[in-house]
Amino acid sequence: MFTSIYRVIKFALQNFWRNIWLSVITISMLVLTLLTVNILLVLNRATDQVIAYVENRIEVNVYFNESADQTKVNEALTYLRTLPEVKDVQEISADNALVLFKEKHAQDPAVLSSVDEIGRNPFGPTLVVKARAAKDFDTIISALDNPRFRDEIRQKDFSDYQSIVGKIRQTTTQIRDGGIVLSIIFFIIALLIIFNTVRVAIYIHREEISIMRLVGASSRFIRAPFLVETILLSLFSVLIVMAIVYPTLALIEPKFSQYFGSGAGGLTSYFEQNGVLIFGAQFIALLFVTMVSTALALRKHLKV
Amino acid sequence: MIHFKNVSKLYPPDVIGLDHVNLRVEHGEFISIVGQSGTGKSTLAKLLFAEERPTHGVIEIGGWDITKISNRDVPLLRRQIGVVFQDFKLLPKKTVYENIAFALQVAGIPSARVREVVPRVLAIVGLEDKVQRFPHQLSGGEQQRVAIGRALVHQPKILVADEPTGNLDTLNSRDILELLKKINEFGTTVVLVTHDREIVNRLKRRVITLEGGKITSDVEEGRYKL
Repeated sequence: MFTSIYRVIKFALQNFWRNIWLSVITISMLVLTLLTVNILLVLNRATDQVIAYVENRIEVNVYFNESADQTKVNEALTYLRTLPEVKDVQEISADNALVLFKEKHAQDPAVLSSVDEIGRNPFGPTLVVKARAAKDFDTIISALDNPRFRDEIRQKDFSDYQSIVGKIRQTTTQIRDGGIVLSIIFFIIALLIIFNTVRVAIYIHREEISIMRLVGASSRFIRAPFLVETILLSLFSVLIVMAIVYPTLALIEPKFSQYFGSGAGGLTSYFEQNGVLIFGAQFIALLFVTMVSTALALRKHLKV
Repeated sequence: MIHFKNVSKLYPPDVIGLDHVNLRVEHGEFISIVGQSGTGKSTLAKLLFAEERPTHGVIEIGGWDITKISNRDVPLLRRQIGVVFQDFKLLPKKTVYENIAFALQVAGIPSARVREVVPRVLAIVGLEDKVQRFPHQLSGGEQQRVAIGRALVHQPKILVADEPTGNLDTLNSRDILELLKKINEFGTTVVLVTHDREIVNRLKRRVITLEGGKITSDVEEGRYKL
């Protein structure tokens, strides 16, 4: 029993080493396939983060009349904060609103002079509302139609945001759906590549397999070293992919964060936290596919 | 030892490999099976180590009916019959030593026994000094010696040699023939399939001639007559 296991492992290692070019070719094919899968994974993750970043940036400004009663404003603020869809509400007082407006138009004397001409603060208090998700804006918009403070609201810049929110939601759904379709296509391509790579590798060994049969080797004894070799090939492939993915992510991460802020990054940390799961799952899936392919490819050549 | 009872082998659609062959080979005999290409010589050899199954008739080897041998039992049969081929059929990525040891290892023989048997066999075939060579580093004659060594490791009762000198020059052919005679002297039944006239005439042993899948002559101490 132990002698057989020892021999199977020894033959697998010999096979791997003495056919080193075939091993290199097989591993490179497996690595390329896994890399495509990981690129897709990174893209999906990045898309999610970009979407979250954009959604996080959307806010609705609720402008109150300049004569609005502060108690009504506070009431609206409290009310909005109770809504589960609302992530955050900030109040900008009338005075602050004027300061901010002046800061924003500091380079535009015409605008500043027209504000001075009015002679008083034309702004009322403003509430800046952030939603948890883009789809929640509809609920928030309708909630602001509450008769208790509806009349105090001068302007809600909903109309613009509504179309933006709508577009983002549509794009988000499309990207996610597209991602799923792309993932399925890539998965099928990956399966076909692995299956054919293994078949070619076994085909190259067909003469040897028939010789082994002729000198009295049982099917199991022929099959086992090939299966052990697939473990080696799969393990090396996944290790190489890990050695490529982590440094690459570390390299692109700063550029990614530059565009979307550090909060939107976290690709490396995502792979670090879930590395065991991500690459463990890839190893198991790869092993399963290569082993099944090997067993199927061998079956044909074992009929001697 | 070997008994063919009315054995026929047909290949679809209508090619006759062997046609109602009756043959009995006794223990320790050295027989040559001769005939032109396509007369059924190799078919007869393949039936012996179950690479082919007969269409009709019964084949017995040492009292074991292998006519309908199962795939599971084929490895057991092949560990009892040594086989040598024209194209040597060595494992290209294994050394001389490993090629010979492989036939023992597949049978689950303990490593200590392998280390004991392989050097003995290497001495018989005269390759003690080339154990670490790979097949592509050997001459044709040397490769055939490795193949014969591999066929001998189980101390088989029967050695089937299918055109063993087909790829060798005269000098190497003679060497291989001497080796086969030596093996026969140790008590192994040798079935030599060949169309090499010189070898058959030199042997002066029993010669069976095949024509069109039938045995047309079976002569003790025969000569190649085709």
